[in-house]
Amino acid sequence: MSEKKPRVLVAMSGGVDSSVAAALLVDQGYDVIGATMQVWDYSSCDIEEGNGTCCSSLDVDDARSVADRLGIPFYVLNCEAKFKTAVIDPFLKAYLEGQTPLPCVNCNTYLKFDHLIRKMKELECDYLATGHYAQIVPNEKGEARIFTSTDDWKDQTYFLFTIEPEIVKHLLFPVGHLKKPEVRKIEKEKELVVAKKKDSQGICFVGNKGYGTFIEEQVDSKILAQRAGVIRRYPSGETMAEHAGIHHFTYGQSKGLGMSHHEKLFVIKIDPETNTVWVGDENYLYRSNVDVVDAHLIDQVEDGEILEVKIRYAHKGSKARVKKTEKGFHFEFLEPQRAVTPGQAAVMYRGRQLLGGGWITL
Amino acid sequence: MKIENKFAKIYLDFNATTPLDSGLALKLPEFLQFWGNPSSIHWAGQGPKKVLRESRKAIAEALQVSPLELIFTSGGSEANNTVFQSVFEASRNSQRNEFITTAIEHPSVLKCLSHLQQLGAVVHVISVDRSGQLDWSHFEKVLSPKTALVSMMLANNETGLVLPIREIADRAHSLGAKMHTDAVQALGKIPVNLSDLDVDFASFSAHKFYSLKGCGVLFSKKGNELRPLIFGGGQERHRRGGTENTLGIWAFGYMASKASEIQKQAERISALRDRLETEIQNHIPQVTITHAHAPRLPNTSSLVLAGVDGETLLMSLDVKGFAVSTGAACSSGSPEPSPVLLSLGLSREEAQSSLRVSLGWSTTFEQIENFILTLKSVVERLRALQIQNSTGSRLEASR
Repeated sequence: MSEKKPRVLVAMSGGVDSSVAAALLVDQGYDVIGATMQVWDYSSCDIEEGNGTCCSSLDVDDARSVADRLGIPFYVLNCEAKFKTAVIDPFLKAYLEGQTPLPCVNCNTYLKFDHLIRKMKELECDYLATGHYAQIVPNEKGEARIFTSTDDWKDQTYFLFTIEPEIVKHLLFPVGHLKKPEVRKIEKEKELVVAKKKDSQGICFVGNKGYGTFIEEQVDSKILAQRAGVIRRYPSGETMAEHAGIHHFTYGQSKGLGMSHHEKLFVIKIDPETNTVWVGDENYLYRSNVDVVDAHLIDQVEDGEILEVKIRYAHKGSKARVKKTEKGFHFEFLEPQRAVTPGQAAVMYRGRQLLGGGWITL
Repeated sequence: MKIENKFAKIYLDFNATTPLDSGLALKLPEFLQFWGNPSSIHWAGQGPKKVLRESRKAIAEALQVSPLELIFTSGGSEANNTVFQSVFEASRNSQRNEFITTAIEHPSVLKCLSHLQQLGAVVHVISVDRSGQLDWSHFEKVLSPKTALVSMMLANNETGLVLPIREIADRAHSLGAKMHTDAVQALGKIPVNLSDLDVDFASFSAHKFYSLKGCGVLFSKKGNELRPLIFGGGQERHRRGGTENTLGIWAFGYMASKASEIQKQAERISALRDRLETEIQNHIPQVTITHAHAPRLPNTSSLVLAGVDGETLLMSLDVKGFAVSTGAACSSGSPEPSPVLLSLGLSREEAQSSLRVSLGWSTTFEQIENFILTLKSVVERLRALQIQNSTGSRLEASR
C-alpha cells in the first residue's frame, strides 16, 4: 500500500495565480480539493462588471472549470454574511472616518486564513494553499515562517501580517517562489484559465466603478451627507472649497480635489471630527514617525531594533527603529516618509522575513 | 468492515435525480430508428408517432388515467407552470380566482404563484408542521367558493412527507375548486393512482424515475380547460407547442411499463431506510429525523445532526465518495438553510444541520452499511473539531 498523500485545500479564485497554484500541487502529487469563497451577493451586480476581479460570479464559474480541468473536487463556500461583517462593513466605516482602509487584510484575517483553515481541518486536509506571492521558510529555530516572494514586484506578504504563527506550518504558497511571468507561462502551457483576465488589482468587491461609487451605493445618502465639509489650506486654515464627503479623499491625493488652484496641492490630513480636509504643499506630507495599534506578530521583534517597515502595499519599505508601546508599536523612520495614511498597515520585515505589523493611527 | 474505499462512488441522492435504468440504457440504440418528426405524414413520421402513442398509453396505464389526458412537457416545472398560468388566466375576471398551496412546495410552484400574486392573484399558503401535519384549520378557513385551484404536492422532496391528497381533493371539490398535485417526487417511489387520488391536474418528471432529463408529463382531467403555456404547431392537441422530445418520451414510456416493480422496490428500500435510521440513531447521538412519524416516502430520510454544519458534512462525505444532499438539489450551489425546513418550524441551526439521504432502486445493503459507518466517523470528527473551535472564529473572538 502506498503512503497516504497529503491532502490540500486550495483557495481558488479562477484567476491565474491560484489556478497555477492548484495545478502545481496536483503535479506534485498532493490530494487536492479546490474551494471558492462566495463573498458577495452577485444578484445585485452587473454581470459584466465583476470581470477581472476576484469575486464575480463568472470567476466562480472559471474556478470551477479550472478544477474540472485538473480533475479535482471543487466546492463553493457561502461566506457572504461573514464577508459583509468582517470586510465590507469595516471598509465603509473606515472611509466615513477619514481613513483609507485595507480590506484585503481583513479578508485574509477572517476568511482566507481563519474560515478556510477551519474548512481545511473539517475536510481532513493537511494544508491550506493560496495563490499568494509569499514563501514559507523555516526561521533559525526551525519554525515555519513567512518570507517575501522571489518576485519583489508582486510580493503580497504585506497583506499577510495578521496570520497566526501557529497556522503557518499548515500553509502552502505554491507560486511564491516564482515570478509572475513564469506563472503566466505555466498557465499558458497548461491552458488552465478559460477567460483572459487582467491581474486582480484594486479591491475585488468595488470593481471598475471606483470606491466612491461603491460607497454611495452601500451607504444611506443621509449618512454620507453628514460627512460633507470644507477643504482648508494647511497650515493657514484658509477655506479653499466645500466638499461632498470626506470619503472622497485619501492622504497624499492631489487630483480630483474639486477646486482650481495655481499650485499643486495635496491632502495632508482628514479630520473626521469636523469633516475638514486639509490640503497643502507636498513637504507637509512627510512624517518621521508613526504609531500602530492592534499589532500582530508572527515572529519575535526586539525592542529598539531597526527593521524594514512598509507603510502601504506599493511602498518599497524603509528602515525604522521599532519601539513597543502599550497598544502596539512606535516606528521612528530613519528617513521621513510621504503620506503616512491612517487605516493602512505598517508591516515589519527583517531581511525577507515578515515579522508582523499593525494599523496606522495618527 | 472497510469504512472507506476511495474509488467507490455511492449515490444516495435519488430525490435529486435518478441514474438511467440499466435495461433502458441497453435499449437506447433502438431509439435511433425513430429520428423522424412525429408530425410528418410520410414514412419517417410513422415510427416516432408510434413512440408517442405507445408511451402515452403506457404512462396512462401506470397512472390509471386515459392517454388523452396526458400532455408531454419538458419536465415537472413546466407542467406546474402550465397549470397555474392557465388557471390564472381563466379565473382573473371571475369570482373564483384564489389559489391555495402549501409552504413546502417546490420552487416551480411557490415562485410561479408568487409571480401570479404580483399580477393580482390571491394566494393562500398553508403551512405544515414539524410532525408532518397540514394546518387543516387554516386550509378550511381560506377554502371557499372563491378558490379556483388547490395545489399541494403528493410527496415532499426534502423530508419525503406524503400529503393526504385524496382527502384534500375531496374538500376542494366540495367547494367547486380544482385540485392539482405536484407528484414529481412520488413517481417511481410509491405507486401513484390518479383515479384514486381524484385530482384534476398532476405533474410528473421522467428523470426522477430512472429515465431522461428534459421530459415530463402533465395530467389534465378530461373536460378541464387548459391554455397552453407554449404556443406552437398544434402538438399535444394544441395544449403544448413544440416538436416533441421523442427520445425522452420513448424512455419515459419504457419506464412506465416497469411501474409494476415500484411496489416491490418500495418494500425493499423501506427496509433499508428503516435500518439506516435505526443504526444512525443507535450509534450517533443527538440525531433527529424530520417527519419520522408521518406518512413518508419509503426512500427518504431527513436527518438533523445537532452541531454539524450540513454544508461541511456534505463536502466531507463527497470527498469520501458519498453523494447526499443538504436540501433541495438546486440549493447546493449556495448553501442557505432550506426554506422548506424553516417553514416546518425547524430553527436556522437545525435546518443548517440537516442532511437528506434518499435511496433508490440500485441502493444495496452494503452501501447503507458503508454509509452508516462513514457518517458516524465524519460526524464524530466534525463534532470534535466543533468543541476544539468552541472559542469561535477570529471574527467572533475580536468582538
